Amino acid sequence: MGDVGEVTDATVVRAVLAGDVERYGVLVRRYRDRYARYAARMLGSLDAAEDAVQDAFIRAFDQLAQCRDPDKFSGWLFLILRNRCFAERRRERRASRSLEPRDDAVASVDRPDGAVEQADWTGALERALGQLTPEQRDVFVLKHVEGLAYDEIARMTGASVASLKMRMHRAYDRLRELLKEHV
Amino acid sequence: MSEAFHPLVKQLLDGEITLAELPPELRTEGAAALRLLAAVDRTPVSLPTTLDRRVMAEVRRRGAAPLLRRAWRRLVEPREIEVRLRIRPWVAWAGALAAAAVVALLVTRLPTLQRDGRSVHVATRDSVYVRFVLYAPGAQRVAVAGTFNQWDRDAAPLMPAGTSGVWTTTLALPIGQHQYAFVVDGERWVADPAAPGVSDGFGRRNSLVAVMAQGAHTL
Repeated sequence: MGDVGEVTDATVVRAVLAGDVERYGVLVRRYRDRYARYAARMLGSLDAAEDAVQDAFIRAFDQLAQCRDPDKFSGWLFLILRNRCFAERRRERRASRSLEPRDDAVASVDRPDGAVEQADWTGALERALGQLTPEQRDVFVLKHVEGLAYDEIARMTGASVASLKMRMHRAYDRLRELLKEHV
Repeated sequence: MSEAFHPLVKQLLDGEITLAELPPELRTEGAAALRLLAAVDRTPVSLPTTLDRRVMAEVRRRGAAPLLRRAWRRLVEPREIEVRLRIRPWVAWAGALAAAAVVALLVTRLPTLQRDGRSVHVATRDSVYVRFVLYAPGAQRVAVAGTFNQWDRDAAPLMPAGTSGVWTTTLALPIGQHQYAFVVDGERWVADPAAPGVSDGFGRRNSLVAVMAQGAHTL
């Protein structure tokens, strides 16, 4: 890992484009875990996150010549991963459309005295997040898991702050509906 | 009970106000809402290093394909080149350049490049001269960057044609499809709004030029 922090992304990208394919490993090591938490929270599974990150790296390699600002490789990679997560979420939603609503799983954490343990809360919230739209879940994860401000998310995603807030506020209301026994 | 949080509670969740700043009648709702955020799992996630090996194995496999294509290209005969000129009006670029711009591509059969000591690409049997023209009055410097020069914004500067605001350069591009954009004053990326392009992943567009044995044209 010692060499990983010494070379800029742009240098590595240009080397790969010039034919030094092995240098791509520097980028893989550098960013393997950077967005793993985002992918895991978006997809609700570590296995799915691993698949998504792997696919994103391979897709980024295929399209590396389109990376206009190699210094911003990490942001570009994130957008590829984000699109991959969106596609996976939409596919899952289509596949589960015929299934019964999963609100019962969320309600099951309720306690007679209302004192829900933190772990139960976390599990309930995780299940509720799974029922948001990909766009709502995306902004929730970026803001409240990754700790980014709206303007930072806007720069990363290209969306306006106003539209991000609208998605987030709809997410809040949906979560309240899903967790109404607790909120 | 309404399913929606009060707008002020949403501001609280956004971190724009504190619980103490909520009206007293909203503080119970606000406190309950904050419990929701307290349940967010922010535990870091690490992926196994085996992922590196899987990615690199696939990358090596895919990286080999272009080499085969390049080898095949070297086997083919020299190509006839014809002249084509295409000019596209540069319109409505949000006032960024405060002027219209034009990009043109010129492919010529037997060009001789003179660039006052500047290093230039030399066309081979597998490349075609393409002239890039940008109308950008007021610009201090203009360059063209693309997949043919690894998006190096300093590799291919355009020269001003007098004081007309027209900037030009001629490059030898390999046969194939290339993405490009102009770089004005070292930082402003300018694509051709009249030509379909491809997204660069950041919400901007790259223009496309197809360089063929018979000539070149924007896509």
